[in-house]
Amino acid sequence: MKPLRVFFTGVGGQGTLTATKLLAETALEQGLDVSAGEIHGMAQRGGVVHSFVLLGGYVSPKISQGEADVILGFEPMETLRALPFLKKDGLVLSSEDPVPPISVSTGKQEYPSVEMIKSKTLECSPRAVFLPCITLARETGVVQTANTVLMGAFFSMGILPFGLDVLLDSIKKRLKPKLVDVNLQAARLGADYARQSTQESV
Amino acid sequence: MNLLDPNAGAKELLLGNEAIVRGALEAGVGFISCYPGTPSSEVPDTFFRLSAKGEYYFEYAPNEKVAMETAGAAALGGVPTLVTMKHVGVNVAADPMMTLAYIGTPGGLVILSADDPGCHSSQNEQDNRYYARLAGLPCFEPSTAQECKDMTREVMELSAKWEQPVLLRTTTRVNHLRGPVDFGPMKPAKTKGEFKKDPGRFVPIPAVARIRHKVLTANLEKIRDEIETSRWNRIFGHGNIGVIASGVARSYLKDVLKSRPDFKVKVLELGIAHPLPQKMVETFLKDLDKVVILEELEPILENDIRVLCQKKGLGIEVMGKGEDLPLWDEFSTLCVEKALARATGLKHTPPATCSVQISDLPNRPPNLCAGCSHRSVYVNTRKIFGDDAVYSSDIGCYTLGILPPLKAADFLLCMGSSVSSGCGMSRVIDNPVVAFIGDSTFFHSGITGLINAVYNDYDLILVILDNRTTAMTGHQPHPGVDQALYGLRPGNLEIEPLVRASGVEQIRKVKALNQKAVSEALMEFKSMKGVRVLIAEEPCPLYAKRVLGVKRSKVGVVKNSGQASMDCLNTLACPAFYMEEGNVRINPDTCAGCMVCVQICDEIKPGSRS
Repeated sequence: MKPLRVFFTGVGGQGTLTATKLLAETALEQGLDVSAGEIHGMAQRGGVVHSFVLLGGYVSPKISQGEADVILGFEPMETLRALPFLKKDGLVLSSEDPVPPISVSTGKQEYPSVEMIKSKTLECSPRAVFLPCITLARETGVVQTANTVLMGAFFSMGILPFGLDVLLDSIKKRLKPKLVDVNLQAARLGADYARQSTQESV
Repeated sequence: MNLLDPNAGAKELLLGNEAIVRGALEAGVGFISCYPGTPSSEVPDTFFRLSAKGEYYFEYAPNEKVAMETAGAAALGGVPTLVTMKHVGVNVAADPMMTLAYIGTPGGLVILSADDPGCHSSQNEQDNRYYARLAGLPCFEPSTAQECKDMTREVMELSAKWEQPVLLRTTTRVNHLRGPVDFGPMKPAKTKGEFKKDPGRFVPIPAVARIRHKVLTANLEKIRDEIETSRWNRIFGHGNIGVIASGVARSYLKDVLKSRPDFKVKVLELGIAHPLPQKMVETFLKDLDKVVILEELEPILENDIRVLCQKKGLGIEVMGKGEDLPLWDEFSTLCVEKALARATGLKHTPPATCSVQISDLPNRPPNLCAGCSHRSVYVNTRKIFGDDAVYSSDIGCYTLGILPPLKAADFLLCMGSSVSSGCGMSRVIDNPVVAFIGDSTFFHSGITGLINAVYNDYDLILVILDNRTTAMTGHQPHPGVDQALYGLRPGNLEIEPLVRASGVEQIRKVKALNQKAVSEALMEFKSMKGVRVLIAEEPCPLYAKRVLGVKRSKVGVVKNSGQASMDCLNTLACPAFYMEEGNVRINPDTCAGCMVCVQICDEIKPGSRS
């Protein structure tokens, strides 16, 4: 396969790192060369989390500006903030459900409109897809599955050399038994939504 | 994944820190001690998680000096030993470490120093390769997960063979990378050894130390000869422009060379940062016109190589720290590519990036969690002391109280400094000084400051924010945590009797979420003099949920959003609060049910969690 750099961005507590690990382990199991990196620590307390999965032969565990083939954004404003890392015409998959930072919650600053985030993102890449991750996750009854919604969408896009089935198997294998069903449902919801929205835009 | 698999052959995706654990297990590690600290924490956490099934002995120490001293002695007793800490922890442990290098460690002692270029979770970005040179420790630097495993295994064996402690120096990027690791065979853990008495070596009175210093120097020369042929130092490529790379810079270099085959360079990768394999480096440099040194942070190799060139009369150009390769932060493929383009005279086109204006986006600084009891104490303290008091802070979650509206951190030096530095401040200014420290940090090194505060008769209010765990690094236990929680011998130290035994007479203990109790205690303290200690107890909400199994059935509900709820939001800055069309709301998914808002605002009432 063509080497691929995947940049994850989200907010501490959203499961960004769990998703990163899931992709890296699944890819390794599928026989790809994998290198992954993550920054945590302070970020656990509601700060920004950036992590990286590099597939197909990279050694360095980090992505510089302009190097990411894919941005997976678990929070829309963080997707916008991460755009400088995107390679020209790379793919963006992002949640469109804001998680406001404290300055916004307290009315000190204004959250940029999601419409503005979408249009700025589309200026950078016509291949951007936004999903209502938290809204879809609520349908499973467990709002914490929003990260799996996004992963479901990613695995169904035809970018990776394997599809949604491989993600579903990986979820069954790697998650705690009581979390498997809701996450399978979340992944399918994300995949369906992504398929529909890419068909509409074609 | 079974890190304790005794057989070779498995291939697993491991975190760098997990790979270090596997490497130590393969080498038969028998004794491990540590103090947690990001980015090192997953090494001891993994040993702790596996300790019921593993054959080794593992413990958390109250601080890095204690960890170094126990580990050092285990190694003197002939047992392969690992001690882990973050870079600034080595400062705490430096005293015993310097002497361990003199007397040597027959069982083998590997010291993990997890450095943090870029200050991802630290107060500085010191380069601990200097410690290797200062103390006389051989220093190994892995750059991939496989190397983390293989190098740790080898370095444990070499340390025992050389009878010298060795520094395993990682950086955040290496600790927290994930990569495939091939497992090798595992030796049985060696947990018992033998101490061969030799006071002329192991008791460094001045007469002994003078001799041992020379022995250390001689040992390092022998080690230098041996690492001339180490597999961790390797040469590849051709050309009259050379590149010498160490640490994780080796990975960036490899990816750059793959994408830029037009860079014709000869490469020397140094997996061992100290001592420098001088003959190998000299041979490498001989036919070059120019050499680029790639190392994060300090120009340590660069200076060594400049010295070598001067000694050997080599007139080659040495390119090191400069505009592409700064003395701070992490490297990247981008900066390495720029440096190589400059050295080779080839073109560098920065990758096309999106020209989106993002500088005015709201920031997202880390914040105290919803339900964190530190917030409750901070709000109360500010209400009583306001901006008049100077707030002496410490290292832990409570440092996150720095931002408005809490503003509960005015200055900070290092672990345990809030008490002693708070004292120094109180002697020279007239304002009241309130110091904050956590329970783990109190045991780490706060207690010595408290003893000094009483002994030297200071005016200080110390608030011990006791959340019953080491929250910031991932909920590690400490001497105040009952070990029965982890299926071990029951027992823990209570903070109050320790404070009393230190000579403090003015002590109050309160539930940290109880606004009235916190307020009364602080009001009382305000009118007193001398050392006053408030112990504010409440388990960290994440820890309470995950480990203690506590379920809070209530949530805060804004009954009518008026000025009072607006004030409450602006006072608490709790992440569960948000504004919706001009009204204050509380997100029930995020609310931890601490009920602090209910106590300070009559527009907010307790509701049931649906």
